[in-house]
Amino acid sequence: MSDAALAPHPSGPDLYQVELERFQGPLDLLLHLIRNQDVDIFDIPISRITRQFLAAITQVERLELERAGEFLEMAATLVRIKAQMLFPRRTDDGEEEDPRAELVRRLLEYEHFREAARLLEEAERNRSRLRERGYVEVRPAPPLADVPLHTEWSEVWEAVRGLAARLAEPEPGYRFLGRPVRMEEKIELILGMLQESRRVEFAAVVSPWGTRMHAVVSLLACLELAKRSRVRVRQAEPFAPLWVYRRRAEDEAA
Amino acid sequence: MRVSRMVEALLFASQSPLSAAELARAEEGLDEERVEEAVAELRAEYEREGRAFGVFEVGGGYQLLTRPEYAPVLERFDSVPGSSRLSSPALETLAIIAYRQPVGRAEVEEIRGVGSGGVLRTLQERELIEVVGRGEGLGRPLLYGTTRRFLEHFGFRSIEDLPRPDELPVVLAQRTEEGKPNAA
Repeated sequence: MSDAALAPHPSGPDLYQVELERFQGPLDLLLHLIRNQDVDIFDIPISRITRQFLAAITQVERLELERAGEFLEMAATLVRIKAQMLFPRRTDDGEEEDPRAELVRRLLEYEHFREAARLLEEAERNRSRLRERGYVEVRPAPPLADVPLHTEWSEVWEAVRGLAARLAEPEPGYRFLGRPVRMEEKIELILGMLQESRRVEFAAVVSPWGTRMHAVVSLLACLELAKRSRVRVRQAEPFAPLWVYRRRAEDEAA
Repeated sequence: MRVSRMVEALLFASQSPLSAAELARAEEGLDEERVEEAVAELRAEYEREGRAFGVFEVGGGYQLLTRPEYAPVLERFDSVPGSSRLSSPALETLAIIAYRQPVGRAEVEEIRGVGSGGVLRTLQERELIEVVGRGEGLGRPLLYGTTRRFLEHFGFRSIEDLPRPDELPVVLAQRTEEGKPNAA
């Protein structure tokens, strides 16, 4: 093939800009040129299509060698057909042979398989919506010791406010002043409860008394224990129950 | 013990499809027809109770699969990756092999107009195609055909389940009739 055939074509009205990497091969590119311009595939304007094909593959050096060769081979075929159109040959029985016939047959064949591939893809998509046993695999939960404190201050305060709202307001007019509530008591209470189970709901720590003072001191006890790494405080989402967990070291000791 | 319950147990315990013949081996006196009746009973039962799974027929066997409407739930959950879709070159190559089998690499490349060695290797590794023989001619080229795994992957009961030739344009239909004497 001459260098002139591969030289970039000056942009004209029918210069067709395409991104070469998008195409699976020369047949794909050729079909694109034909189908996107409403060209009759049984009467391909070979001159125009060849010019567009050559213009499109000026980017061919961007492709790897094998793929580049495939596009260049097609370019050669197109140029040969174009030449043969000028000098029609006759077969033995005198009929005029269309030099485009073999190319058209290949294009149609390729197009049909491309359509078959599309139907396969559709079947694949439908099939992927049905799942067999074993598709879902529960990932192992990370070990507790590696888990940082999940709770943020804002969440803790949300919980306290929620709790405070639920606690009975004292009757107006008189107040019963209980003895002061000490944090150490609450710490012992919480640790005691955690002896029996791995986790305890914060509401359960407070419920025997149910006053605001007990709730506040219990919460402070929880936070103090968390600071000392004795417990882990966890709330799945705002307004969800607040849970106090025994830390791993406590597990082992128990 | 009811036959439908036995079939249910086998389908539940198996991760891959079981054919009627395979299921019939579960008990003496069972035959394929009885198994098929049992499968129909199970289907009706699951349908009636609105179960999230059903008995589906894939790759020449029966398999318990979740219903399509639950796909989004499963995908959001801890789904196992790797059941990935095939690339366009892979689908194109598979289509040629499915309709033209047994077919050699040269013919695949002739139709696609591009080298296809890598794609064929990948398809073989994924057990979607296999060597089914050797052709005539120079070097006796390897001929490829599709596998049971291929049917399972696309949810076809058998190779006759492929999109019908009359759903495809004409040229391909003619070719398939010539090329596959055993096709329905």
